[in-house]
Amino acid sequence: MGPLYKFGWFDFNYGLELAGLIGFFFGFLLERAGFGNPRKLTAIFYLRDFAVLKVMFTAIVVCMLGLLYFSVLGWIDLGRVYLLPTYIWPQIAGGFVLGVGFVMGGYCPTTSVVAAVSGKLDALIFIIGMMAGSLVFAEMFPVLERFHTAGSMGPVRLPEALGISSGWVALLVCTMALSAYWFVEKVERRFGNAETLPAGSRPARRWAAALLPALGLILAVVNPDRVLEKKPAARIEIRQPPRRTVDDRRMPEKTPSPTFEIVEDEGC
Amino acid sequence: MNRRYANPYVIGVLLGLVLLFSFYTMGRGLGSSASFARIAAAGLHKIAHAHAEANPYLSRYLHARRPALMNWLVFLTLGAGLGGLFSAFIANRVRGEVARGPSIGVSARCWLALGGGLLSGFAARLARGCTSGQALTGASELALGSWVFMFCIFAGAYAAAWFFRKEWL
Repeated sequence: MGPLYKFGWFDFNYGLELAGLIGFFFGFLLERAGFGNPRKLTAIFYLRDFAVLKVMFTAIVVCMLGLLYFSVLGWIDLGRVYLLPTYIWPQIAGGFVLGVGFVMGGYCPTTSVVAAVSGKLDALIFIIGMMAGSLVFAEMFPVLERFHTAGSMGPVRLPEALGISSGWVALLVCTMALSAYWFVEKVERRFGNAETLPAGSRPARRWAAALLPALGLILAVVNPDRVLEKKPAARIEIRQPPRRTVDDRRMPEKTPSPTFEIVEDEGC
Repeated sequence: MNRRYANPYVIGVLLGLVLLFSFYTMGRGLGSSASFARIAAAGLHKIAHAHAEANPYLSRYLHARRPALMNWLVFLTLGAGLGGLFSAFIANRVRGEVARGPSIGVSARCWLALGGGLLSGFAARLARGCTSGQALTGASELALGSWVFMFCIFAGAYAAAWFFRKEWL
C-alpha cells in the first residue's frame, strides 16, 4: 500500500535518488511540450497557444483520478499523502504576483530550469532573480509573518469546501477540463497559428472526451469518501507524525520505519 | 521556433502519471521553487553566516534535521534539469540565446527576466509554492487553496499580459 515511503519501504536517501529520477521525467516532459521556450509559455496569455493550460489541466485530472481510484482499490492511503494546507489570503496574493512574474519573466520556476539547461540566458537570469526574491521574502518575513498565515483553513479539500463527495468533485473537474479544452481550442483556432500547434488524431480525442466523464461518473457513484471512512488513519494529516491510534493496529502493512519523516517544508 | 512540440494532451497524461508515481512512492508531489530558496539560503549562510542564522524564515531551511540541500525538492530540481537537458539535446534545441519576441532588445529582456524572477521567487514563498508545487500538486489532491492559487496565477498573468505584449509578440 502506498505511499511506499511512509510505510517504510525505503529510506530517505533512496527517496532522494527517486526524487532525481522523478525530476528527470518531469523536466523531460516539460521540455518535450516546449516549455523551455518562454514564447511558447506566454503565448497562452495572448490567446495564441494554450499548451500550458492543456498540460496542467490534463496532468491534474489524470493524477486526481489516479489518486481516487488507487484509494478506492486500497493501493494508497490518502491519509498519509501530504496535503497542502490552505492559507487563503497569501495564496490569492501570491498567485496574482506569480502570474505577473510569469508573464514578465516568461517562465514559472520549474520551466525556467528546463529553459536554462537548454541554453536560454534569460532563464538563468530568471533563476537568479528567483533566488534573490526568496531572500527578499526571508528578509521581509518579520513584517509579512502575520499575512503569511492569514486565512489559515488547515488541510481543507474541495469536497469539504463545496459540501459534496470527492467523486462528484472529480466528475465536476473532468467536465470542467473538457469544457476548458473545447473552449481554448476554439480560441486557438481564431488567434493561434495552426502551423505551430501540435495536431492530434480525431478518434483519439473523441475517445478521451468520452472516457473522462465516464471515469468521473464511476467515482461519483462509487464515492471514494465512503471507502476512506472505512479505512484506518483515513484522516488527512499534516506535519505531525501519524497518531498511533487503535485503528493503526489493524493495518496489515509494515509500520513506519524509525527514519520516518514528515515533510517539514511547503510544497514547491 | 516553428518546430512542432509534442502534443500537450499526451504530455499532460504522462506528467499526471509521473505525479501519481511521486504520490504513490513518496506521498508528496512535485515542486521546484523551494529548492531555489534553499540554495539561496545555503549560499547566504556561507557568505553572511550570522545574518542568515538570525533570520526566522531561513531557520526552517538551515536548522532542520538535515542539511538545507539534502532535500527532496532540490534533488527533484536537479533531475528536472538533467531531464530537460536530455530532451533538448535529442531534439537539437540546446542553443545559447536570449529568448524574446521580435520587438524587444536583449538588455530589456534580461532586466524583465530578472524582475519576473524576483516577483516569482517572492510570490512562491508567500503562497508556499509555485505552479508545480502548489497548483499542480495541490490541485490534483483537490486542495482548496491550490485551486484558488491556480486561478489567481492566470488572473494575474492575464491582467498583466497587455503591459508586456512588446516582450513576446
